[in-house]
Amino acid sequence: MAKVKALKCKECGAEYPVEPIHVCEFCFGPLEIVYDYDEIKKNISREKIEKGPKSLWRYIDLLPVENPTVGLSAGFTPLVKAENLGKLLGLNNLYIKDDSVNHPTLSFKDRVVAVALSKAKEFGFDTAACASTGNLANSVAAHAASAGMKCYVFIPANLETNKIIGSLVFNPVVVAVDGNYDDVNRLSSEIANEFGWAFVNINVRPFYSEGSKTLAFEVAEQLGWKIPNVVVAPLASGSLYTKIWKGFNELREVGLVEGDLPRMLGAQAEGCSPIYQAFKEGRDFIKPVKPNTIAKSIAIGNPADGPYAVKVAKESKGDIQIATDEEIIEGIKLLAKTEGIFTETAGGTTIAVLKKYVEMGMIDKDEVVVAYITGNGYKTMEVLEGKLEKPIHIKPSLAEFKSKVIGG
Amino acid sequence: MNSMKLKLIYPEEKIKEPLLSKVCKNFNIDINIRKANVQEKIGWLELEFIGNDEEIEKAINFLVENGVEVQPIEGQVFIE
Repeated sequence: MAKVKALKCKECGAEYPVEPIHVCEFCFGPLEIVYDYDEIKKNISREKIEKGPKSLWRYIDLLPVENPTVGLSAGFTPLVKAENLGKLLGLNNLYIKDDSVNHPTLSFKDRVVAVALSKAKEFGFDTAACASTGNLANSVAAHAASAGMKCYVFIPANLETNKIIGSLVFNPVVVAVDGNYDDVNRLSSEIANEFGWAFVNINVRPFYSEGSKTLAFEVAEQLGWKIPNVVVAPLASGSLYTKIWKGFNELREVGLVEGDLPRMLGAQAEGCSPIYQAFKEGRDFIKPVKPNTIAKSIAIGNPADGPYAVKVAKESKGDIQIATDEEIIEGIKLLAKTEGIFTETAGGTTIAVLKKYVEMGMIDKDEVVVAYITGNGYKTMEVLEGKLEKPIHIKPSLAEFKSKVIGG
Repeated sequence: MNSMKLKLIYPEEKIKEPLLSKVCKNFNIDINIRKANVQEKIGWLELEFIGNDEEIEKAINFLVENGVEVQPIEGQVFIE
């Protein structure tokens, strides 16, 4: 028996065969993978996983791929016990899941793209595509290059070219569309329908998003097969946050861990916080917003999984909070100076919101807390311009070094 | 003949306007509503526009010009 049974609509429950489709024909709801957990239970064990590859593929029994061929070294990133930051915040068991060092393009996107393109190859696609100006484009272009797939990246034409150097280097075809982000999105969906390419966040999205579950699997294993009490994660489309929750649920389902599920605390930037607003106002739908924040990597104005993220926040007795641009910068600096980890604005948002929750008294000092750092600060250094201490200028003289640097 | 799955989101000040009716009268497309939630302060509809590409495009432009947010359903793609 196969581990994957079908695709199923998250809204109306209609079932579909395992194909590169992502929208329910009846109610237009998103499709999700249905696993045969009884079958998986027979094959999976802690010992088998521990003997597996040091990558996300050690959890292949819970991923919708039979034969991984792309992104073979993605995942299995460090879980760091954050002693210094923990001390400063008054938390005795704070951990950082550090996807800023994911392979090969230094963000959690390497997980989802590894799964998406491995599946795309199984389906027989020879072309990968995405609409992105950041981490996703980097990852799709890199993985497509190593997999020998053709690659198309769609961006709005008014974007500065230096923003996409990190993708251009992998030699994809970059299509600059004369229009705004909405126009690019609409065109991408039309192209995905017509050309039969693997658009990672369109027609292979149900498979793609499953990659984020490995963020939960790895944390549980790295904690000695335990579920943390609290998770703090950024919210963009809402997919990562809901899949971390699904990951912990699945580990319990197949008997690899026991105990309570975590409280899911979510972080958004104040300048793009449609999920936070829906949660706060008790709405089950998202009012789209126009993003206005330095946290570009999580600035999604109309998040597809927003309603599901709100549901997870409620179900897990969690919460969602926001951070201002200033707080995000402070969050980046705080993580860097306490733990030596340089994250980008999404990570800054997570740390800023973690700090807020501690100040609000919503985390007990002895609880096991995991903050997810999803991207690398070396990619977006411009946000820190003018926000850091300047070098101390001196003449090449010992006396001046003593007086100006050492003091006295 | 083409079909496009779309989500229309109406801001509060546009809810009382019969915009979809105007689309039906002024453009040569069929509209197939699949899901909707219209309340005092916000309204959204998930629907299909069926017709030729040019007419669909014109209908979308009409709605956008009138302040309605028009998102693709097939492919909730995001640009970071």
